[in-house]
Amino acid sequence: MPVTIEEPRSQPIYEVDRLIVDLYTDKRTIRAVDDCSFSIKPGETLAIVGESGSGKTVMTLGPLGLLPEGIAVHFRGKALTARGDLLAVSGRHRAAVRGNDFGVVFQDPLSALNPMRRIGPQLAEQARRFAGLSAVAAKTDAISNLRRVGIADPEDRYWRYPHEFSGGMRQRAMIALALASRPKILLADEPTTALDATVQAQILALLKQIQAEDGLAIVLITHDIGVVAGMADRVAVMYAGRIVEEGAVADVLKTPTHPYTQGLLSSVPDLDTPTGERLTEIPGAPPDLSDLEAGCRFAPRCFAVTPSCALARPSLAPLSSVTSMTPTHKVACFVMQSNCQEPIT
Amino acid sequence: MNASAAITVKQLQVHFASSRGAPVRAVDGVDMEIQRGELHGIVGESGCGKTSLARAIAGLQRPTGGSVTFDGRELDDWRRERLAFSRHVQFIFQDPLASLSRRQTISQSLEEPLKIHGLGSASQRRKRVLELLQLVSLPVTCLDRLPRALSGGQRQRVAIARALALDPRILICDEPLSALDVSIRAQILNLFADLQKKLDLSIVLIAHDLAIIRLVCTRVSVMYLGKIVESGPTSELFARPRHPYTRALLEAAPSIDPEIERSRDVQLLSGDPPSPSSPPAGCRFHTRCAFSAPICEIEQPIPRLVDERTRVACHLA
Amino acid sequence: MINRFKERLGGISPYALIPVLLFVLVAVFAPALAPYAPGMQVITDAMQGPSFAHSLGTDYLGRDLLSRLIWAARVSLAAMTIVLVSALAIGILIGSIAGYVGGKMDLVLISVIDIMLSLPSLIIALALIGIVGPGYWSMIAALTLAWWANYARMSRVVVASEVHQPHIEACRVIGASHWWVFTRHILPSVLGVVLVYASADAGALVLSIATLSFLGLGVTPPTPEWGQMLVDGMNYLEDSPSMVLLPGLALTLVVASFNVLGEAIALQKLPRAIKGRALSRRIRARADEEKTIKRGAQ
Repeated sequence: MPVTIEEPRSQPIYEVDRLIVDLYTDKRTIRAVDDCSFSIKPGETLAIVGESGSGKTVMTLGPLGLLPEGIAVHFRGKALTARGDLLAVSGRHRAAVRGNDFGVVFQDPLSALNPMRRIGPQLAEQARRFAGLSAVAAKTDAISNLRRVGIADPEDRYWRYPHEFSGGMRQRAMIALALASRPKILLADEPTTALDATVQAQILALLKQIQAEDGLAIVLITHDIGVVAGMADRVAVMYAGRIVEEGAVADVLKTPTHPYTQGLLSSVPDLDTPTGERLTEIPGAPPDLSDLEAGCRFAPRCFAVTPSCALARPSLAPLSSVTSMTPTHKVACFVMQSNCQEPIT
Repeated sequence: MNASAAITVKQLQVHFASSRGAPVRAVDGVDMEIQRGELHGIVGESGCGKTSLARAIAGLQRPTGGSVTFDGRELDDWRRERLAFSRHVQFIFQDPLASLSRRQTISQSLEEPLKIHGLGSASQRRKRVLELLQLVSLPVTCLDRLPRALSGGQRQRVAIARALALDPRILICDEPLSALDVSIRAQILNLFADLQKKLDLSIVLIAHDLAIIRLVCTRVSVMYLGKIVESGPTSELFARPRHPYTRALLEAAPSIDPEIERSRDVQLLSGDPPSPSSPPAGCRFHTRCAFSAPICEIEQPIPRLVDERTRVACHLA
Repeated sequence: MINRFKERLGGISPYALIPVLLFVLVAVFAPALAPYAPGMQVITDAMQGPSFAHSLGTDYLGRDLLSRLIWAARVSLAAMTIVLVSALAIGILIGSIAGYVGGKMDLVLISVIDIMLSLPSLIIALALIGIVGPGYWSMIAALTLAWWANYARMSRVVVASEVHQPHIEACRVIGASHWWVFTRHILPSVLGVVLVYASADAGALVLSIATLSFLGLGVTPPTPEWGQMLVDGMNYLEDSPSMVLLPGLALTLVVASFNVLGEAIALQKLPRAIKGRALSRRIRARADEEKTIKRGAQ
């Protein structure tokens, strides 16, 4: 039943608390996520921004058990939904707690869609399994889902194989698949990275429309700031397994406070940047997650670094002393917090 | 034909035979000129043929029709002199990890072009390698490491250094930034701009990200389904795009300012791009064009000069 | 300390390498190790059991058995090496051409390779020997003919997959010739794969040499060879069983050591199944650690 939500309700629908994720390979141990917390409310879009190695995928998909197989993982912390804590149970029981609350859109549609089966039946099966529909009702539901995501001629497309779809259409089919189980939370892992700009704009508009109709909460993993600006209500910026800045999109993008966020935003070329202007670089490269020292992880590359930065880990806290900052805008940086100064834009 | 043109492309066609019947017409009649000292961007979406065009210009792909001329001679002619040609025209691949041999150290990879061409003794080669490292701002500690021990940005620098080892005049780069992290792209982009000035290179930059093209390129060509629909100086093209497809691309490019982003009215391109093996009759773009007129369905538009330096292929421009 | 050795040998247990190494050493230093010349006949001393003069006894012609065994090792090693090197050379050459050039050439060559592979190797060898007549060099030629196809197939696969890799194309862009690209970038991969299989094949090859000689189609007397000594000794089984037992034992041990080596190499190539278990053990150990720490902190 489509529900129009004017404002997100006040209670979070999914809450991750102090998550720590360790990955074990035969050579070393990597702490992919180091004590991160976030929450999301119905109808809200939270963007998680970071580069490779930032931990954004592990943090979002990990508690659901969706990490690639073959890697040994150890979780600590909580991942709370209305049904319980995803991390307190294992294996089969986790599926019960997970239920059909979550839908996932992956970066590569071919990894979620079975290439050997036609699209329609895959969608119908989801509906049968999770929404308890009968075979006939499931097929009708699948067709209407296909139509809803903007796939023309859904009765015909129902019987096609994934490889017969173009990139954009496949992504739409995957969104349809994610919606088939009537989820409350949609996790989208770089859903448009592999797509062209024009198709990307279409897909994002589609997601916004579905969110408005269904009151979905969307967690959007991306490295594209433009996508964040267009889609998200709140954003969390991750670096080397930690959240370094979070807050409302307008706050973070207009007044970025953490040096990494500032560097990131000024290193991204925009159509408004004049030609010939030199982009600001962030020197160095992201750290090796198996070989980390104490203290702030961004210190080696930070323009505002001080000797105390290497001693202890800065905690994520609001800069309430600065009047232009709202209390929901939090930063993990000693320098910015202690200096209480206006961030350099 | 401009005498100062470094590379001239005439009616280039690159068709791939397909097992399913009609051949894939990746590049279908392209005319282009790369001037000396130019940073020329080729932009378009996936499937438009820009990679095939880049490879054909670099001599990696044999065209099925048309010609590419470098220094007055056709590439077919140059094919026999592979060594000599490689000293003039070089290529940067999209994925730096894949383009470097995983078994060779950086030092070996950088020396390889010098060895192949027999340039200098061992100590002279070593000197040149150190020069190259300086040119792309890589530390000397890289030399004894394998590519997988380096970061993506460093690998791309190695690939660039290797391409520059032979002191080429033209560098063709196929989406050199796509495989890199966002914050590293800025470094490499700045590097391209610096190198172009320092070495007076002509660079052809293939990309799908308009913002990148706009930042460093002096001239841009927009490709759609195997043809160039608009081409002109960067500032002109972005300030006054004439072809509907160029306009659509600019509309679709997101901004990082949330206010701009949310308030703009995105005129979305309808539908999906047609298949390159069965392009629409007439103007290729007419099936998705908001301004399509009856003539667009019948006749292919010929590129015309609409300005001093801008060419557009559109009946309505 | 054994582990350090293990690492230097690429993870292969030294216990697997030692028997084969012994065989090679015995074969190479045969002239120094054998107390007598293998062909030296002293009829009066024939059919003797072990004694001070002849530690393993003599055969029906009075030749020292120990010396004959040692020299037989040399003959086997020599023949095996020649066949392996030739088969590898031909196989790698044809397979590489097929993989590198592709297209019609590949189709033609793969058909030839497939045909050769579908015939049992011994049948091919027997057929060739039937045509050119028995003898040492016919045996070498026959076995080479029987063995090259497998290496060709393997080389073709490796070459075909490597040749389209971006780094090969990148090499061509900087001006490398086909030869350069092939020898410096593709051949090492090919050798890496093929030599592993060749080392495992060695045992089977020694056995084939022995089989052909046993049938009288390979090494001919008086050159000592285990298979040939076996067939000789069968006539004298009741009087001097050691004439059969000793070459048989030597053959068994050598072939077995090659098999063990082959298995050790193969094992080194599939470590995941084993490592997976070790990994889950580590995680459980960690979790237990955490629990004890938590309990301690409370």
